[in-house]
Amino acid sequence: MPIEIKDLVYVYSQGTPFEHKALKGVNLTIPTGKVTAIIGQTGSGKSTLVQHLNGLLRPTQGSVDIAGYHLDPSTRLKDAKALRKKVGLVFQFPEYQLFEETIAKDIGFGPKNFGYTPEQIQEATEKVLPLVGLDSSFLERSPFELSGGQKRRVAIAGILVQDPEVLVLDEPAAGLDPQSAREMMNLFMSLNRKEGKTILLVSHDMEHVLEYCDEVVVMKDGKVSTQMPVHEFFKHPELLREIDINPPGVVLLKEQLQQQGFDIPLDSYSLDEIAQAVKAQVKAHE
Amino acid sequence: MNNIALGRYLPIDSVVSRMDPRSKIMILLILMIAIFIPAGFWGYIPIVLFIIAALYLSKLKLSYAMRSLKPMMWMMVFLLVINILVLHEGTLLVSWGWFKIYSSALIQTAYVIIRLTLMIILTTILTATTKPLDLTLGIEKLLKPFEKIGLPAHVIAMMISIALRFIPTLIEETNRIMNAQASRGIDMQNGSFKEKISAVLSLIVPLFVSAFDRADQLANAMEARGYDPSRPRTRYKVLKMNSVDYVAMALSVLVLAIDIIMAVMGV
Repeated sequence: MPIEIKDLVYVYSQGTPFEHKALKGVNLTIPTGKVTAIIGQTGSGKSTLVQHLNGLLRPTQGSVDIAGYHLDPSTRLKDAKALRKKVGLVFQFPEYQLFEETIAKDIGFGPKNFGYTPEQIQEATEKVLPLVGLDSSFLERSPFELSGGQKRRVAIAGILVQDPEVLVLDEPAAGLDPQSAREMMNLFMSLNRKEGKTILLVSHDMEHVLEYCDEVVVMKDGKVSTQMPVHEFFKHPELLREIDINPPGVVLLKEQLQQQGFDIPLDSYSLDEIAQAVKAQVKAHE
Repeated sequence: MNNIALGRYLPIDSVVSRMDPRSKIMILLILMIAIFIPAGFWGYIPIVLFIIAALYLSKLKLSYAMRSLKPMMWMMVFLLVINILVLHEGTLLVSWGWFKIYSSALIQTAYVIIRLTLMIILTTILTATTKPLDLTLGIEKLLKPFEKIGLPAHVIAMMISIALRFIPTLIEETNRIMNAQASRGIDMQNGSFKEKISAVLSLIVPLFVSAFDRADQLANAMEARGYDPSRPRTRYKVLKMNSVDYVAMALSVLVLAIDIIMAVMGV
């Protein structure tokens, strides 16, 4: 069942002088089992939208249907925990949510809250560690003696351990070196491919969006301005420039080649294909 | 958590907001002394008049200044209850079995409420009309004379301004961590006592860690730019008092004088 968002409006600090309308009627259907990117400028409402998905914010107007739950202004979430177990939310810089003495306890914190038995916690923890590229030698160490990248892995393990159906990631690779960022993204992609998890990725990194995502949702000024399959979306670099985001390198290269008079097939995004096309056309010209 | 009125600067241009922060702080101190002088209820008339004038000149709404009183409501109710139970002097007003209300309880509570209200309104006027940085600059200048006896005026002012600067940042950080832990199944409202302790820990520990991180980064950034609190400094902004400041201070001293006279005559 896809995630359905209907006419979602959210107003911060309603009824005060600091009132601020962050979402102005969002309509969105997010397919299950796919990787959907949510992009947009700072302040376009991405984070506010994302916080509705596990009931952290209650809609001011409109509704959200997710994982068998219907959330609208009148919903009083009694079993918010059950929803939050199904929809895992990884916030920006999740390493700042670590607090336990040992990594084992920190990863087990979520499951404990969701009522797992100690055996289940141990089993789930042992299963999740290799996924984030850590081993059991870490379990008894303090999370605060790790490097930044390792802390982030532990924090993400703390969400993955809940085995959520839907995984919402807010800039999971921000601030990581390119190698770790790639590993991190590959981890999420394998979760999507092997276990069929629905993934929502909030990102500013268009290279990642092009490489890993199936769908793109563009947020602009509290509304969805565009929703398209990724390969369709990057045929229109002007959509990106509209929201002041630079297109990925491949798209820029294609643009330049086209300006030089080359005929590049619109839906090829691999350097090899583009090189082949250029080569063929140079040859034909000679 | 974004609705805290107390201590928030409002960018409204007015006679009061253009005044020198030093004179505003001095006036606040003088009037605070006046508020605590036991001159009876009539003694508050000059202070109230002064406050009304200040509110008018600062273009602030009374409702705004009163809003910061809201969090105090319960404290005042609590105080009233305690006073009724403890103070058994003056005339008996209500007698309900063992439950008795004496006039002194009401009078004492009224005094405390009036004093608190006046002080909060005064402080709100000060913080609403003065930018935090100007305020700390004013404090620094006023503490300057005490440097001779070893008081680090500049360091104190710098600490205050850094603390003020980080209040919104820490509020934002708190919200973020609360959301993150809520997503991990923490329930701040329900649950047993033990669960609540763990909920609070899951908020406090990360908050401290990130606050110390920020402190570290800020300290490095300041040192990288050659900051040394013991060296003489010049200011981009030079404070200057003009006639409005002198008149306002003179009036506040007058209010204090009237209250002292009333107290002495009355007793």
